[in-house]
Amino acid sequence: MANTLRLYLTCIRNTLEAAMCLQNFPCQEVERHNKPEVELKTSPELLLNPVLICRNEAEKCLIETSINSIRISMKVKQADELENILAKKFLRFLSMRAEAFQVLRRKPVQGYDISFLITNYHCEDMHKHKLIDFIVQFMEDIDKEISELKLSVNTRGRLVATEFLKQFI
Amino acid sequence: MILLQSPSRFLLQILQDRVLSGDKGVDIDCHTVEFDDVRYHIQFSMRNTKVMVLSVALPLPPPEAMLYDGLPLGAIEAIKAAYGPVVQILDPPKDGFDLTMKINLTKLPPDEEQRNAVLTQIASVREVVLGAPLKLLLKHLASKTVAPNVDKLVALVHRPNESFFVAPQADKVTVVYPMRFQDSIDIVLATSFLQEFVEARRTSALNNAPSCLWSPVPPLELKGVPSDALNANAVVFPRHVEGKKLDKTVWSLLTFHAYVSYHVKCSEGFMHTRMRRRVETLIQALDRAKSDAEKLKKLVNGGSFKRLSLKNDGN
Repeated sequence: MANTLRLYLTCIRNTLEAAMCLQNFPCQEVERHNKPEVELKTSPELLLNPVLICRNEAEKCLIETSINSIRISMKVKQADELENILAKKFLRFLSMRAEAFQVLRRKPVQGYDISFLITNYHCEDMHKHKLIDFIVQFMEDIDKEISELKLSVNTRGRLVATEFLKQFI
Repeated sequence: MILLQSPSRFLLQILQDRVLSGDKGVDIDCHTVEFDDVRYHIQFSMRNTKVMVLSVALPLPPPEAMLYDGLPLGAIEAIKAAYGPVVQILDPPKDGFDLTMKINLTKLPPDEEQRNAVLTQIASVREVVLGAPLKLLLKHLASKTVAPNVDKLVALVHRPNESFFVAPQADKVTVVYPMRFQDSIDIVLATSFLQEFVEARRTSALNNAPSCLWSPVPPLELKGVPSDALNANAVVFPRHVEGKKLDKTVWSLLTFHAYVSYHVKCSEGFMHTRMRRRVETLIQALDRAKSDAEKLKKLVNGGSFKRLSLKNDGN
């Protein structure tokens, strides 16, 4: 299990390294505007082929690239209702703090749980390899956090039930 | 605190203070609220410093719950049996309350230990009043009979506008709790908690505990009662209500819903704290990505401004 996760993350890391070569590019339609082309998709010549990396049906990562911006969307594993709720809650927590994250998109792309939008300005401000490190760490953490939360809910439930039932003995 | 305590801390504190404070007394007139919308009104007057008037308001009963004069079945008898000469019930109760009692502190037993026991008992008045009908049914279970003139299914109030159901039989009593939660997250958490109850019961240490089950559809006993909630049920056998265990069992069964929802809320709070911390570490990870050059630039700029400023030069 850990092995497939490692492969999945390595694949994402390599793809990001290749895809993240962004340059400043002013808008072609409106003068003195500078917009992330991957969001607008006005001119097809500025877009590259999107890459979809799947670990399984539930977990996938879509990387869309353009000349001056890159959009990374991911879907997090949600095996049961509890995981689903936990993931939803956690991701809402993150989206509400999107301004602190800068690269986080406030609203995920449809069909995904969370999206990042990285523009050439972010790449200028930050080290590219560290930015990639961050994305990969983020994906790792989210999985870990959700499974730990689930475990803690179950442990608590067990403790609560045991204490209650002990009273009858 | 994992288990809910039956004496109200607030009430107990006031009573103990009053008993210990001797003759000098002040007017007290205060209200307090406990979980499941049980309200207390405490009054001490200057004239009679050793008499407390305590009014209790019970949760608003749903239509199916059976009540006699606004009180659960057998409540008056239970109060008389529990408190004896210390407590006198005032009829009719105060406006807005279901029960008003006059507690005469001079009639408390002189021995400190006994006195504290009585005070604690007074502070757990909600257990005595709300638990009275359940206690009656379980007492009959202990002697393996069914209480006379009791329906097949008894509805007992435990929360505002909500009741739980008891189906008494000679050899066992089934208790069914319809649980409604407003929030979808609460429902999921409560479901997993109830599942843990079922699984914890299976471990060898708890083999003798009441068997627990839960299902999203009401069980057979509840036929005819409209229900749209998770249903947890527990089966209580005579061995759970022998002797001293009876009181504990009554309280546990009475507060099962409150107990589960309290822990659901607690674990939600814990989740939030944890997520907040995790978000902070992620933000730190992103900050590490910011280029050192930028930080350096800020540092140099800041420093050089200070050194080259006109003010410093003039001095």
